[in-house]
Amino acid sequence: MRMRLKLKTVFVLYFMVSLLGLIYALMQLGQRCDCRGHAMSKDQQISQLRGELQKLQEHIKTSELSKKTDVPKIYVITPTYARLVQKAELTRLSHTFLHVPQLHWIVVEDAPQPTPLVTDFLAASGLTYAHLHKLTPKDRKLQEGDPSWLKPRGAEQRNEGLRWLREMGAAAEGKEAAALEEAVVYFADDDNTYSLQLFEEIRYTYRVSVWPVGLVGGMKFERPVVEDGKVVRFHTGWHPNRPFPIDMAGFAVSLRLILTNPQARFDGDAQMGFLESSFLQHLVTMDDLEPKADLCTKVLVWHTRTEKPKMKREDTLQKQGLGSDPDVEV
Amino acid sequence: MPKRRDILAIVLIVLPWTLLITVWHQSAIAPLLAIRKVCHHLVKEILIIPERLTIHRQRLADDGTETRHDTGPATDSKEYCSQDKDIVEVVRTEYVYTRPPPWSDVLSTIHVITPTYSRPVQKAELTRLANTFLHVPNLHWILVEDSQRRTPLVTRLLRETGLNYTHLNVETPRNYKLRGDTRDPRIPRGTMQRNLALRWLRETFNSNSSQAGIVYFADDDNTYSLELFEEMRSTRKVSVWPVAFVGGLRYESPKVNAAGKVYGWKTVFDPHRPFAIDMAGFAINLRLILFKPQAYFKLRGVKGGYQESSLLRELVTLNDLEPKAANCTKILVWHTRTEKPVLVNEGKKGFTDPNVEI
Repeated sequence: MRMRLKLKTVFVLYFMVSLLGLIYALMQLGQRCDCRGHAMSKDQQISQLRGELQKLQEHIKTSELSKKTDVPKIYVITPTYARLVQKAELTRLSHTFLHVPQLHWIVVEDAPQPTPLVTDFLAASGLTYAHLHKLTPKDRKLQEGDPSWLKPRGAEQRNEGLRWLREMGAAAEGKEAAALEEAVVYFADDDNTYSLQLFEEIRYTYRVSVWPVGLVGGMKFERPVVEDGKVVRFHTGWHPNRPFPIDMAGFAVSLRLILTNPQARFDGDAQMGFLESSFLQHLVTMDDLEPKADLCTKVLVWHTRTEKPKMKREDTLQKQGLGSDPDVEV
Repeated sequence: MPKRRDILAIVLIVLPWTLLITVWHQSAIAPLLAIRKVCHHLVKEILIIPERLTIHRQRLADDGTETRHDTGPATDSKEYCSQDKDIVEVVRTEYVYTRPPPWSDVLSTIHVITPTYSRPVQKAELTRLANTFLHVPNLHWILVEDSQRRTPLVTRLLRETGLNYTHLNVETPRNYKLRGDTRDPRIPRGTMQRNLALRWLRETFNSNSSQAGIVYFADDDNTYSLELFEEMRSTRKVSVWPVAFVGGLRYESPKVNAAGKVYGWKTVFDPHRPFAIDMAGFAINLRLILFKPQAYFKLRGVKGGYQESSLLRELVTLNDLEPKAANCTKILVWHTRTEKPVLVNEGKKGFTDPNVEI
C-alpha cells in the first residue's frame, strides 16, 4: 500500500508540474504572438528580402564576371593625378570596366603615396585592381598654366605599371604563368571614353594590336590604314612621320611581349607625340601590327577631355574663409 | 494488474506534452509558410530568365573544385525556399552576365530623361552614359534628340545597349537654340526636349496606375554614381542632393536643418531663387508629375538659373523636399563638361572619311 501511495503521489506531482509547465509555455507563446503578429513578421521578412535582392544584384554583377576564367585577362594601366574631376572620371571609368570580364585595373597615382580618395574609391568599386603610385619628378611635371601639350604626361606612371607587371610575371608559376602568356596590356587614360566592344577586340592580341581613335590629332579620328590585312601607314593629320603616329588609346600589347622585352618603356623625355613611339619601337614593326575594329574602320574609343570646372566663386569664398566644406569629398 | 489505471496514467503523462508540442510547432510554422511564398516570389525575381540568360549553379566542393550544371528556374526556387536556407544562399547562383540587370517587380522604375544633340562627342557621351545606366536595375531611359528626325547614330546606339529605352525627338526652333559657342544662359538648352519627355510620360501612364516611378533629368555630359540612383528610388515627392562643379563652386547643396528639412540653398549664384538647384540635383516622383499635368519647364522669359525653379515651384514647396545623400553631405553626381574637341586638321574639306561614325 505504501508503494502505491508513493507512485500515486509521484504521478500527481508529475502531472501538476507538467501542467504548470504547459501553462507557462503557453503564456510565453501568447506573449510572443501578441507583439510579433503574423503580418508584422511577414512584412519584416519581405523588406529584408527586398534589401537582400538589391544587394544580390550588386554582388552578382561584380562577382560572376571574374568567374569567367576561360578568356585572356586584360590589364588596364591608368595613370591618374589629383584634381577636381578625378573622382568623377574614375567613377564613370569604373562603370565601363565593371562590364568587362577578366579585367585587372592597374591604377597608378602621380603622388608620393596612395591618396585616401583613390584608395577608398578602388575598394568600393567592385573591380579587381592594383593600386600603385609614382611621383613625376618636378622637372618633368607640367606647371600650372602650362599648355597640356608641353610635356608628355603619365610616362613615369605607365612605366611603374609595367614594372609591376614584370614583377608579377617573374613571380608567377604554373597555371598562373600560362594565363599570363595570353594576357593583354592596355593603357587607358582616365578621361577617355571606351566602348565595351573595344575590350573584346583587344582581348586576342598576339603582339601589338591597333585600331582607330576618335577625336584626336585635331581630327574626327585617327586610324591605321589597312591593306590586305596589314597596316601599311597611318592616317593622321599631325606629325604623320612619327614611327608610330598613334594615340595611347589606340593600341594594346600582349603581356608576353612586355615580359620578353624588359627594356621596353616609355621615355619621359620624348618629344611631344613621340611617347607612344618610344615604347612601341622596342617591341614591334609596322608589319607585325594586328588591325582590329573591322580592319580599322570602326571607332570604338574616343579621346574625350573634360573641362576644368570654373572655380572663380569658390576661390573668392576661400579667400574670405567661407569656402565649401573641405571634408566633403568631391 | 490495474490496466485501466495504467492507461489513464500514461495518457495523463503524454497529453500535456503533445499539446505543448503542437502549439509550439504551429506558432513556428505559420510565419514560415508565409515567408516561403514570398521567398519563392523573390527568388523568382532573382532568377528571371530572358532568352539569352542561363543559370549555372555553382557548388564549391570541399577540395575547392567547382562543378556546374544548368537548372531551370522553378526547381531552383523550390530548392532554395524549402530548405529554409538563408536568402544569402541564392548569391551562389550564378548568371552568365547579361546587361542590364533583370527587371524587378519590387523596385520602382527610374525614368531618366536625357536631352541630346548632334556634335562630335555625342556618341562618346552617350556610350559612357549607357555604360553607367546598364548597372542600374529598373531604369527606363528616355532619350530626346534635338533634331528634326531621329538620327541613325542614336537609334543604333540605343538598340545595341540593350537598355529599356524610349527614343523621342523634337527640334528646338532656331531662335531658341544656342548659337555656336556662346554659352548664353538666357536661352535654356534642352527645355523643349525635357518637356516632350514629360508629355510622353503623362500620355503613357495614367494617374490611376500603380506604376511606381521616379523621374530624373540627366544631361549627357554629367557623371553619375550608382549610389545616386538607389538614393532617388525612395522619393515620395521631390528629393534633392548636392551637385559638384556647379555655380562656380566645388559643389552646391541644399541647406538642411537638424529636423532633416530643407530650408535654403548653399550657393553663391543667386541663392534666393525658389529652387537654387541644378537639373541634376533633384528627382520627382512620377505620381506627382501625373497629378499636376500642367507643370512644365517654362520656355520663354526664364532668367539664367531659374529653369529648374520654373518646374519645381508648380510641384512642391521647400518644406516638401526630401534631402538625400546623407542629409545632403555626400557628392553623388558631378556636373562635368566635356571639352569641345579641336578639329583643326580636318580643314575645310574634311580629312577623314565622313562615312565612319564617331
